[in-house]
Amino acid sequence: MKSTHYSEKVLDHFRHPRNTGTLKGEDVARGRVGNPVCGDLMEIYIKVRDERIQDIKFKTFGCGSAVATASMVTELAKGKSLVEASRITRQDVASELDGLPPVKMHCSNLAADALHDAINNHLNKEKRKSQSVKKVRCQKRTIIGEKEFLNKGVYHKIDNLLVFKDKRVLVLDKGETSLEIALKLTKQTGRVVFVTSSKDIAASVTLRAKARQSDVKFLYQSEVLEVRGTDEVERVLIHDLDEDEEYELFVDSVIILQGERHSSKKKSARLLNNY
Amino acid sequence: MSIYFDYQSSKPVDPRVIEAMIPYYRKEFGNPSSLHMEGDEASRIVEECRENIASFIKAEPDEIVFTSGATESNNLALIGFALRNRAKGNHIIISEIEHISIHNIAKYLTKNGFEVSKVPVDQYGRVDIRKLLGRITERTILVSVGYANNEIGTIQPVLQIGELCRKKKIAFHSDAVAAQGLLPLDVGRDRIDLLTLSSNDIYGPKGLGVLYVRKGIRLNPLIIGGGQERGLRSGSENIPGIVGMKRAVEIMEKEMEKEVERLGKYRDRLIGTIPKIILRCHLNGHPKQRLANNAHFRFEGIEGESLLLSLKDKGISVSTGSACSSMTLEPSHTLISLGLLHEEAHGSLEFTLGRFNKEEDVDRLLEVLPGVVERLRELSPLY
Repeated sequence: MKSTHYSEKVLDHFRHPRNTGTLKGEDVARGRVGNPVCGDLMEIYIKVRDERIQDIKFKTFGCGSAVATASMVTELAKGKSLVEASRITRQDVASELDGLPPVKMHCSNLAADALHDAINNHLNKEKRKSQSVKKVRCQKRTIIGEKEFLNKGVYHKIDNLLVFKDKRVLVLDKGETSLEIALKLTKQTGRVVFVTSSKDIAASVTLRAKARQSDVKFLYQSEVLEVRGTDEVERVLIHDLDEDEEYELFVDSVIILQGERHSSKKKSARLLNNY
Repeated sequence: MSIYFDYQSSKPVDPRVIEAMIPYYRKEFGNPSSLHMEGDEASRIVEECRENIASFIKAEPDEIVFTSGATESNNLALIGFALRNRAKGNHIIISEIEHISIHNIAKYLTKNGFEVSKVPVDQYGRVDIRKLLGRITERTILVSVGYANNEIGTIQPVLQIGELCRKKKIAFHSDAVAAQGLLPLDVGRDRIDLLTLSSNDIYGPKGLGVLYVRKGIRLNPLIIGGGQERGLRSGSENIPGIVGMKRAVEIMEKEMEKEVERLGKYRDRLIGTIPKIILRCHLNGHPKQRLANNAHFRFEGIEGESLLLSLKDKGISVSTGSACSSMTLEPSHTLISLGLLHEEAHGSLEFTLGRFNKEEDVDRLLEVLPGVVERLRELSPLY
């Protein structure tokens, strides 16, 4: 069966998704689940009054079935008590949609999980907070291959930006200087990736605004484990701290500035506390 | 009828081709191996077609082997060559962005005692000659790099690769399926030893392909039988198919120049307009070294299958590199090899133009696309 062979009901929910958007307020909890390999990311917002889901909204990045399942789960959960809603299963969602293509049953059927995540977050907001703080770790571990490829694609300092003309450049977060370099590099190449273990850009307000507008691609909550290649840098192994997944990324150059580490770490820690 | 922008996946057979084929199903049904009149006519027409198709790529007729399609040609080229030339070495190099058939053939060869290296490409999809050179060893017997990429349309520095291989006495295979009919092919000029062609990709019938085998290149056959095609590919000849491909070649030779110019204009309109009218949209592939029929974009914050389905609702057929539309749920290996992240590969759309596209098709796409992207971005937590 083709992965896009969808039922009419799936297509209807894809074309006319119900309850899209977000919710705000004290009594709102958010659930967020995603699978980067499959490329789906789903957020469900619930507004709870008297242990009942009074309102529910969703946002989805994903394929047709990802949109449809999110839309369906909001319909199923709306008005239900938290106990009833937490009993909604992936299978329920799929059945209500008259089935999903078999390959999509696992990866694009996250809606029930997102709902349960939202309910859990509502029930235990405090615990959630302590968890998310734990996730931001500024660990410094040695990068395998960093020494081997030094000056063969790995740079510890930057003398001449022209070296990076049309190259795919990966810049490791070593504080504001590294971010400024990343921004400058966008004049030399269309491909600049900035890797940071933080959840957001740790920099002054102006620099952060500039970074967001720029063509720099940010990889948050990530670290570089290894630099790989034959004679020179060809790929890096990235560790996604949030999902605890590893994947390879093709790059030509890796910039790991030396020296500024200590002060910048403090600074990023301070800025992060503002979130 | 839908507006079709997926000529890379499949092409309709040109009505003029079908017309040429019909007599060979009805009247001229002979087997070239037979000695009677019907057999004589069959062998005459096969040889005539062989000459025509050979001249299309500036080859000699006896360097043309008819197969059942490009996948078989790739199999015969890589496996046939590897098995025959094992004594010289067991190392083969392919590029990271080869067609999936080449990747899977390479996997098969590694399971059977061969070593395969993959040469990376730059951010536009071009093979880096220096890196190719760095991978060549004493044991390297074959390099396989597609003439142009089937997904992103990037044209490879084929002549440079060919010259390097000739100098190193390594055979060079190129899958030219995406390039045929869009670029003038010349196996002598480009120092190509093995070249894969497909009939359908020049609006000929499906089920027919060609492998060009340069004189002096030795292969083991993969299909054993009555010894047709100089023993390289047994089985009674697919004569209607061969006649169809010959007709497709004739039409292509006459019309290619104009068609490339026309499609190139459409492509340039898409490439010039789409990133202007849609924010945070980027071109994938090379800005200049690309096939005249290929426009490939990624849209931040949205997923390709959703885009594809939305366009389908508007009567527009396209392809995506997104995992969500593939059987394996892995994103396109070509896009990942460009250095794109999974989420970026997921948000990619591919438009491939062809013979039956009209200017109005481009108008319609440009009219519809911004709204479709906007709707999905409104739904997206990433945008």
